[in-house]
Amino acid sequence: MKALRPERLIAQQVWHTALLNRAVVYLGLFVGLVVVYAVYTGWATFRKQNGLRTTYQQQARHDWLNNPDKHPHRMAHYGHFAFRPKPPLSMFDSGMESFLGSTLFLEAHKQNAVNFSEAGFSTGMLRFGEISLALVLQLLLPLLIFFLGFGSIASERETGTLKIVLSQGISWRQLIVGKSLGLIRLMLTLFIPIMLVAAVLWLTGQAGVVSADQVVRFGLLALAYGLYLSMCCVGAVLVSAVSASANVALVRLIGLWLMFTIVLPRASQALGSALFAAPSKVAFFDRIQDDVLKQGDSHNPNDPHYRALKDSLLAVYRIDSVEQLPFNYSGFIMAEGEKISATLYNRHYDELLAIYDRQNQFSRAMAFLNPFMAIKNLSMALSGTDYASFVDFGRQAEQYRYDLAQTMNELQIRSISNRKPGPADKPAVIDRKHWEDVPEFRYTALDVGPVLACQTISLLAFLFWGLALVYLIRKLSKTLRAV
Amino acid sequence: MILLAVKNFVRSGGVRIGLLFLLVAGLASLLVGHQFLNRQQTAVADARAFQQKDFRRSAAVHSHELGLLLYYLKFSLVNETSPLSGLSIGQRDVNASVQSVTIRALEGQKYDADLTNPTNQLLGNLDFSFVLIYLFPLLIIAFTYNIISEEKESGTWRIVAVQSNNLLRFVGQLFLIRLLTLLGLLLILLALAVPLLGIAPDASFGLFLATSVLYVLFWFGVSVWVASLQQRSSVNAMLLLGIWLGLVVVLPAIVNTYITTRYPVPEALATTLAQRKGYHEKWDMDRTQTMTRFYAHYPQFKHNPVPDSGFSWLWYYAMQQLGDDESATQADELKARLLQREAASRTIARFIPTLHTQLQLNDLARSGLGNQLRFLDYTSRFHEKKRLYFYPKLINNAPVSAERWDAFPVETFTDRAPVGYVGVLAPLLLFILGLAGFGWVNLSRSVYRL
Amino acid sequence: MLQAIELTKQYTPNRQTIPALNALNLRVQPGDIYCLLGQNGAGKTTTINLFLGFLEPTSGQALVGGMNVTDHLSETRRLLAYLPETVMLYPNLTGLENLRFFSSLAGFHYSTDELAGFLTTAGLQASAHTSRVGKYSKGMRQKVGIAIALAKRARVLLLDEPTSGLDPKAANEFSDILRRLSADGAAILMATHDIFRAREVGTHIGIMRAGRLVETLTTPDLTAQELEAIYLQTV
Repeated sequence: MKALRPERLIAQQVWHTALLNRAVVYLGLFVGLVVVYAVYTGWATFRKQNGLRTTYQQQARHDWLNNPDKHPHRMAHYGHFAFRPKPPLSMFDSGMESFLGSTLFLEAHKQNAVNFSEAGFSTGMLRFGEISLALVLQLLLPLLIFFLGFGSIASERETGTLKIVLSQGISWRQLIVGKSLGLIRLMLTLFIPIMLVAAVLWLTGQAGVVSADQVVRFGLLALAYGLYLSMCCVGAVLVSAVSASANVALVRLIGLWLMFTIVLPRASQALGSALFAAPSKVAFFDRIQDDVLKQGDSHNPNDPHYRALKDSLLAVYRIDSVEQLPFNYSGFIMAEGEKISATLYNRHYDELLAIYDRQNQFSRAMAFLNPFMAIKNLSMALSGTDYASFVDFGRQAEQYRYDLAQTMNELQIRSISNRKPGPADKPAVIDRKHWEDVPEFRYTALDVGPVLACQTISLLAFLFWGLALVYLIRKLSKTLRAV
Repeated sequence: MILLAVKNFVRSGGVRIGLLFLLVAGLASLLVGHQFLNRQQTAVADARAFQQKDFRRSAAVHSHELGLLLYYLKFSLVNETSPLSGLSIGQRDVNASVQSVTIRALEGQKYDADLTNPTNQLLGNLDFSFVLIYLFPLLIIAFTYNIISEEKESGTWRIVAVQSNNLLRFVGQLFLIRLLTLLGLLLILLALAVPLLGIAPDASFGLFLATSVLYVLFWFGVSVWVASLQQRSSVNAMLLLGIWLGLVVVLPAIVNTYITTRYPVPEALATTLAQRKGYHEKWDMDRTQTMTRFYAHYPQFKHNPVPDSGFSWLWYYAMQQLGDDESATQADELKARLLQREAASRTIARFIPTLHTQLQLNDLARSGLGNQLRFLDYTSRFHEKKRLYFYPKLINNAPVSAERWDAFPVETFTDRAPVGYVGVLAPLLLFILGLAGFGWVNLSRSVYRL
Repeated sequence: MLQAIELTKQYTPNRQTIPALNALNLRVQPGDIYCLLGQNGAGKTTTINLFLGFLEPTSGQALVGGMNVTDHLSETRRLLAYLPETVMLYPNLTGLENLRFFSSLAGFHYSTDELAGFLTTAGLQASAHTSRVGKYSKGMRQKVGIAIALAKRARVLLLDEPTSGLDPKAANEFSDILRRLSADGAAILMATHDIFRAREVGTHIGIMRAGRLVETLTTPDLTAQELEAIYLQTV
């Protein structure tokens, strides 16, 4: 307590001078208005979208169950829908949500695309960004901090008061720490209310039951943003300390802000996607089809793979035509086909994801040069609005699709006769009670553990920036001059 | 004197670095555009090659059953990529430029998403329109925020004011030097783009150029107006930056959020569900009923009989057709909703020059939502054309071998929707005249005082 | 050439009225060197700013060449040359370039030799002419300022503590320049703290206090000691 005294005095002075500035109050109000708007739209979008998705998910299930007695393969083609639920923290950070599809049609033989992203229906405005609390915290608050902090030391140098302060026996380290603490206190007056609002939103998004996983996520978010913004405060003071005049400090800080938030993210991503070309959609599915055909074409009666399969079946059962088999042959063939195509699809899809991952590696590694990327990626991941969560949804849905198709194949193998029914026969259908056998699709969000594992780089970058700032404070404390 | 003013401008700290930065960013954006166009071409070439290969292969495998063959065949349609879209990629990286549809129900295929890496889209393209809309204003601000104020702060203004015979003209010249420098850079970039991206110097490009120039002028208008308020340099800088932040980050984000919440598109989900149900439930319904409704849609085939019991491809495609017919209401609502979005964005954008410029550049480059909607419309017509071509053959049980499957080239949709000059340029012009005029009047009143 | 008639300037920050200049009357004829003395805040610089038109008077008139400054801003400025206490120039241009720039602003297009002549007359050594002003000392900038004033061939000179920052030798040379200019018929108004130089170079002396001209003297009548005594009594 006693050791901190001069720092406290300096911090208090930062606080008082800032509040005397009317522009600061207006800026704070402006940020407040943006926050209110972000909260309202975040909440409204979440409620509306999830309401819609739940409704349609239920309707799709209802449609499924309401099918009459049918041939199981008809049901495999009837298929099901998976509607991606919005995670509760998407109200806080919408992340990639708008660029990710919401609706996936699950049917036999075919891996469909997740359709209907907001971006696909957008006029191009979306590219300017979306209002969310995360945007306020990532972009606007740092800028506000820079506006508040650019003069913290530089203007004292300009007016000459710096010499007087230092001649009173204050060390550079005390000065930098004190000014930083003052700025951090100013920052907290905006940050704490924003996080409280976010907490209320987050609670309303959970319908009463708050899981431990969600608590960890929210806690980590609050911690990460607190750290990020504190780093911005220290950074502002350091830049101000090394600048000859307040104007120079302002220009430098704004330049840094622009590079960090606008230019570098795009540039690094442009580099990544320039170096690693992803296949076009046609080429992607073409290659899968080629590989599937290499393994065997179930539609081609002369295909060697299926011919061999057929021959071995005939040999095992000591029969001479598949009609004599005790189970449904075409169901058996389709189960085999589904297995082959799903395996190959997953392999190609993993390869595609690996390409995307390589495209993203620059902007991910950029976190070490650019703390904005670190917080952006970490925040998206914790909010469950990043690509990893989306891919996880896709995998669960694909697993569901595969199980659904194979369940239907299994039903066909067991319950459908091998002989085509004649006009007078009972049609080849099974009882509709079997539709209940397929459980409803339910997406379970990733646990926070694997999410954090994907964000090792962001976490390391945070650590790096923290250490770098401490190092800079120590180093500059020795080398800085008053004039 | 102008020469010395230029010298003074060029020698001042950061100007050369700033110009170099903008030039590098501009060149990088052209390369990004070049690569984008290349990838589009590859995608189209892939589609062509695949269609040729796959048609031949499938026709050989399913040589005895036209209905089965058509179940698999995907007819590709290309949304022509204008070279200008290399400058303004717009929505082209989200919306696929190649559609591949079978003659089965369309609604389930029409909105198929492209394969994309959403991180690319989230962080945004570094295309020319980004350099123009985001970075040019920043340099304009950096070059002009202190035009009078810094001279006042450093003290040269007192001598300038006493020496100058026409102070207003002097201030005008300072702005002009910076304007011409930046316009020069803009023109160099666009001139380089012409051969690099293979842009035809046509009316669209002319309008693209004019919009870009007016956008730069708009920001000069803003800076003249701010200079006319005669504040300190740091106040000017914050004011200009605040305007930039408002126009480039905050307002567009607010408007976007407003539009998406004001015009949600639940119809998209409704359409898909209705289409699935509409088609599948026909399997369990009386086929006469299905065929009657099919013939009601296409009276030209009415004289054909209802296929008798057992599987029939005509019946199958009739069921598919009804899937589309029964989701038509939702599909129309979806389309109407998207048109509303487009119209509302356009109206609001008139008052926000950054948005207006982006939307207009996208329009000119055929990379906006309007183009996508027209492409979807054309996809429907294309799909219908294919159906009408094949339905009679299915009815007549035409053999697969009767068709020359090589003779189905990938079709190309060329968007020829007109873009009005007045609508593009007038909002920007009004802003420029208003700001610069207002600023100039202010300046002529205040410039002589200290 | 220069005339102030009941010239008054009041500042009203926060609704308080602070009189900076109170009913000033003075007249500077061609050939006169009128020195204004007074403590900081006495109103010397305000007077000069009013003649320059940088400020508008609350009441009264500032006339240059018989024209009211408020109504004929650019015409009166054309007659004036001005030398501030601290001459600030464009640091990225050389001394010569600055002089060329400011002269051409006023409509004078001199050859390089002529410009160099002005700089030399103002006391700037030739080797400094072509180096950037960013490296100049205050005195060197002051000399470029003098050259700018000279090059304008103005009928009226307004000088705001022009010799501050000049070394004694340069200040002496500056006094010579002023005498020559006044001999050529220029009207010179100079605000200064330097009592001795004022007596030495000035033809008239006015002492100001709290916005008023409280004493006017003509120099041939008195010695430096007398002037100092009067100054200390008055302020």
